[in-house]
Amino acid sequence: MADLPVATRSICPHCRAGLDAELIDRDGRVILRRECPEHGPIEALAYGDSGRWRDAQRYDRPGASPLLRQTASELGCPRDCGICPEHAQHTCLGIIEVNTGCNLDCPVCFAESGTGHQPDGYSLSLAQVESMLDAFVAAEGEPEAVQLSGGEPSLHPEILDMLAAAKAREIPLVMLNTNGIRLARDARFAPALAALGIHVYLQFDGFDDATHLAIRGRRLQAIKQAALDRCAAAGVGVSLAAAVERGINEHELGAIVRFGVEHPAVNGVFFQPVTHTGRHPEFDPLDRLTNVEVIRGLCAQLPEWFREDDFVAVPCCSPTCRSATYALYDGEDLVPLPRLVDVDRYLGFVTNRAVPDVEVAAALAGLFSASAAGGTERTGDRLECVACGVGLPDELQRIAARGFMVVAQDFQDEWTLDVAKLRKCCVAEIVPDGRIIPFCAYNAAGYRAQVRADLAAGATA
Amino acid sequence: MIAGVSLHDLETDPKGCCARLYESDAVRWLLDDELHPGGERLTLRLARLAGVAPRARVVDVACGSGATALLLERELGCVTVGVDLGARAIEQARRATPAGARASFLLGDAEALPLPDASFDAALSECSLCTFPNMPRAIAEMARVVRPGGSIAIADVTADLDALPAELRSAAARLACVADARSADAYAALLRDAGCEPLAIERHDAELRAMADRVEARLRVARMLAPPGDERERIREAAALAHLAIDAIARGHLGYALLTARV
Repeated sequence: MADLPVATRSICPHCRAGLDAELIDRDGRVILRRECPEHGPIEALAYGDSGRWRDAQRYDRPGASPLLRQTASELGCPRDCGICPEHAQHTCLGIIEVNTGCNLDCPVCFAESGTGHQPDGYSLSLAQVESMLDAFVAAEGEPEAVQLSGGEPSLHPEILDMLAAAKAREIPLVMLNTNGIRLARDARFAPALAALGIHVYLQFDGFDDATHLAIRGRRLQAIKQAALDRCAAAGVGVSLAAAVERGINEHELGAIVRFGVEHPAVNGVFFQPVTHTGRHPEFDPLDRLTNVEVIRGLCAQLPEWFREDDFVAVPCCSPTCRSATYALYDGEDLVPLPRLVDVDRYLGFVTNRAVPDVEVAAALAGLFSASAAGGTERTGDRLECVACGVGLPDELQRIAARGFMVVAQDFQDEWTLDVAKLRKCCVAEIVPDGRIIPFCAYNAAGYRAQVRADLAAGATA
Repeated sequence: MIAGVSLHDLETDPKGCCARLYESDAVRWLLDDELHPGGERLTLRLARLAGVAPRARVVDVACGSGATALLLERELGCVTVGVDLGARAIEQARRATPAGARASFLLGDAEALPLPDASFDAALSECSLCTFPNMPRAIAEMARVVRPGGSIAIADVTADLDALPAELRSAAARLACVADARSADAYAALLRDAGCEPLAIERHDAELRAMADRVEARLRVARMLAPPGDERERIREAAALAHLAIDAIARGHLGYALLTARV
């Protein structure tokens, strides 16, 4: 099992030069350290607790290969994306950014989207999206999950056709990543999503005006509420996605989860520490948020419901990328699933202990995966299988099947890019030329700008 | 009533109460079938700590439905006699005994074991000593049935009773092996008083914590299922008690220890 220090590769956040790097334990935290010949020593917080980092390593399950790899390994990671032969995992979740235009100009936006004219802006055609979905199906065989994103994808005139195209390829989980403005304003949109069986991934950062202004530049609470109420009325399942930033909305983690479990449309909350790529506020790379700080903050704000060990390091990606839990909630109390099931034991990460039930183990592996979202039929079936496997009574199995998902997902940026982690990335951008580029490489290693420039050039050619 | 046991029974017949309680399906579900902290792993640790040799003759006092006796036979080749006050437990143990196994099970009282003197290499008691109203008597009985030079192996909840909140010292808490628990040193003193020589004390508080966590979580989900009314309130109270126990473990006022002594 890996122990610190660990040698890896990274890049210089200033010039993107590839550099030898090292993960070290400093005062109980894990720091990614390297030195750029031009820009000097560079350090960033990689994980907030070195003990938890070590503990998480036993979740580093070997990856599976995709059916197809689109590029050759020539220049070395992360310059060959992708997916190149050196990549150590298939793709659990594919993302297609259908446009760059948006109806917000958020101060925080890794995609650098906005309302104004963008010289390198684009809007994909339905045919392009269909060919990208086909590329994803060719690579994965039976893809688990795809998310249409942007920009603000709901602004795309053909977005419903694009979502339908994903459903037509029998991808079980098709998500729309949206800010909710169209959902709030267009009464026909949520019913149309419901008819297609789409899961909404709703940007939802908190409740305070200050939070909205700092992250989104506008007070959006009424819009979010209206969007959610329309989803509830139409029967659309929603995951709340909160961008969390030091000093801005760290104090709202508990309130977001409490709101989510009580809202009939919401099946889960995804906390994403702000990636310092694209547009972002001033930050200290050694005092950024990682999953550790997010989970700790949540537990401190909701001690009656959560503690740190309720969260399981998700094994498909690098175990410090994503931690997740599921919880049973009945309107009064909330009990995290790992307190009822010895998840470690079933997932087989404890040595010298037999996996007690392979079906339960398979269901848990599906639940603790980057392709899972709360409230979907597949998640419900898996939760029911687990609940049954550990002997919960029937009625409780039904409560369990509605399990509420809470996730902390720390994406990498130019400061935190760790090639060893990246090689196991299972969330990827599908790009129009058919490449499948790990999400963090797309954002941090220059692919986003390249793809946009290529598309803009193609559009004007 | 908690799983077929009333508070009146508890006051008049605590041993019988305990035996019946741990037989009940509801309690087995609450404990996720791991009837003592650490499960099989800690049972084997206790046997090793007590120097239980392969093929040793072992008596398991308050054996429940026989899991430990059968484990010791399976893993160490021991010939084990299990004694329990619960008729249903003894029946379950006999049914669970595979054909050809040498383990046997007797209905009997820990304070008056139905066994001859000096007939065993070791006596084992897991998570049950503190439920016996007369602990010195139960230890004297174990010492009596073990041959000189043999060993006594105890696993039990340890408690700093003065530091525990009143709720955890109540009659109901006795069922959870808390209200009458002693400190590890006090158990060692009991062994010494019975003429035995204490050999080892090993603390495993984390295992008790894991078990209390499990019970608390299962009580909380059981509360979700209970119809509104008295039953739901009783489950809520039990969950609150489990929560107090978790707190006490975190403060070091409750724990779990393995103790061994030479007879």
